[in-house]
Amino acid sequence: MSMLVQFVITGLAIGMIYSLIALGFVVVWKSSGVANLSLGQLVLLSSWFTYSMLVQAGLPFYLGIPLVVIFAIILGWIIERIILRPLIAQPILSLITVTLGLAYFIEGIVVIIWPLSQAYLPRFFPTEPIHIGSAVVTQEYLWAAVISLVLFILLSLYFRYNRMGIAMRATADDQKAVQACGIPVTKIFSRSWMFACVLSAIGGILMSSIGGIRPGLVETGLLAFSVVILGGLDSFVGAMIAGPIIGLVETVGSGYLANFIKWPEIRTVIPFIIIVIVMCIKPYGLFGENRIERI
Amino acid sequence: MLKLNNIEVAYLNVIRVLHGVSLKVDDGSIVALLGANGAGKSTTLKAISGLLKTEDGEVTDGSIEWEGKRIDKKNAEEIGKSGIIQALEGRHVFGHLNAEENLLVGAFNRKDSNAIKQDLEMVYSYFPRLKDLRRNIAGYLSGGEQQMLVIGRAMMAKPKLMMLDEPSLGLAPLLVEEIYDIIKRFNTESKTSVLLVEQNVRVALSIAHYGYVMENGRIVLDGTAEFLKNNEDVKEFYMGLSTVGTKKSYREVKHYKRRKRWL
Repeated sequence: MSMLVQFVITGLAIGMIYSLIALGFVVVWKSSGVANLSLGQLVLLSSWFTYSMLVQAGLPFYLGIPLVVIFAIILGWIIERIILRPLIAQPILSLITVTLGLAYFIEGIVVIIWPLSQAYLPRFFPTEPIHIGSAVVTQEYLWAAVISLVLFILLSLYFRYNRMGIAMRATADDQKAVQACGIPVTKIFSRSWMFACVLSAIGGILMSSIGGIRPGLVETGLLAFSVVILGGLDSFVGAMIAGPIIGLVETVGSGYLANFIKWPEIRTVIPFIIIVIVMCIKPYGLFGENRIERI
Repeated sequence: MLKLNNIEVAYLNVIRVLHGVSLKVDDGSIVALLGANGAGKSTTLKAISGLLKTEDGEVTDGSIEWEGKRIDKKNAEEIGKSGIIQALEGRHVFGHLNAEENLLVGAFNRKDSNAIKQDLEMVYSYFPRLKDLRRNIAGYLSGGEQQMLVIGRAMMAKPKLMMLDEPSLGLAPLLVEEIYDIIKRFNTESKTSVLLVEQNVRVALSIAHYGYVMENGRIVLDGTAEFLKNNEDVKEFYMGLSTVGTKKSYREVKHYKRRKRWL
């Protein structure tokens, strides 16, 4: 029983981080229709950058983390400005492919700058574990869940009420009409990439505070992708709900299956089995927007 | 004042669609740009608003002047900020946003939130139906409501020149009249100039002060609305009227020759 509780709590918390990274995908998808395939690499890159700031440069936590966020904002700006903007008005497939190229580029850069295979961040959350019933959970998980939830709420409010947020949603609907209103669409794309980078940076910090920085962090990108597909490509709520589901299935499933199947990799496969099933039953995902078409 | 001097427009550097178009929109006036399909009316509007660039089109010759400055090399955002707003043809609403959010997007470039609120009320007073529907998702509104929303959105930008591309497209005659009344009222009350592209010549000339007739990328006829309304050719070819009182002999109509050669 205590094992189940433990699996559920860690699964939900990890899932919330997936949601957070997935939100970065949704923001870009919603405003420009580009599927960003370099999420995992962005997570990896910003995790290593955090490592540089907190460990190699030895900065304190309250100085290092804002620097990471600023780094992510600049990174987002650079990606949009240099890589994606020249491709505006090109077929959407080219834009998606270029994000794939970006993914490998970042992976290469990371290997060059940080030739370590693994590293750990200093612990910045309180270390004493929390007892919930009979289960014992380290505080990182709970903090991760709370931070994800707060960011989700802030982001939802931004897209509901902020003028830029509304314009970003409008751009997703009709790019040309947005231009006709005199709105700079390039600014909107740039903003959405900044969001994506900041969200994956925070996701990366949370992930690596739990499990350390490993090359395997790249896989969180794929997991976030499965979250997005389950929740619906263009739905914030969907991403926020699908994340914990994926996390839960992953931890609980693998936790129990490990007793029966002598194949430790089952953990990484489970989310993708879910994608396949969802794609068959609900191709728009659980909360995806239906295309509005009046006849 | 907007002034087009002999502009030529080519798509993809090859397909020339406008062959020297000149026109003028005085401050506070309504100007109608009339003509059949493919005459180049929409292209002219896009050349002014800068949207041409996203369609691989380019102003290759001539100049476009707005308030004394050349704008033909500027991009859509700068032109939009300088006070020219185009409402695209065919109800480009933001389908997943609600009606009020659609209107707010129109006011994106304005900072004063009180004035924006006031203008929102102003748009609702022009289009009372939108007020009832303001929480509804725009994609599910009816065609007429969507057209009102698009015009309202253009009003929200507080433009000095509003360019409307076929606001009557696909609407019932009664609704067309209603919308045109509102455009006229908006023009007189807020002193906004209007450049109107329209195939429905009768209704366009009912509110316009001046009109241009386009054909094959050229302006073939222009004059005050009164003049155009009484012009025999306009009457016959665009309004479907023949000279009143005379009996038309269909034997003498060689319809293959009846196409008017303007130049």
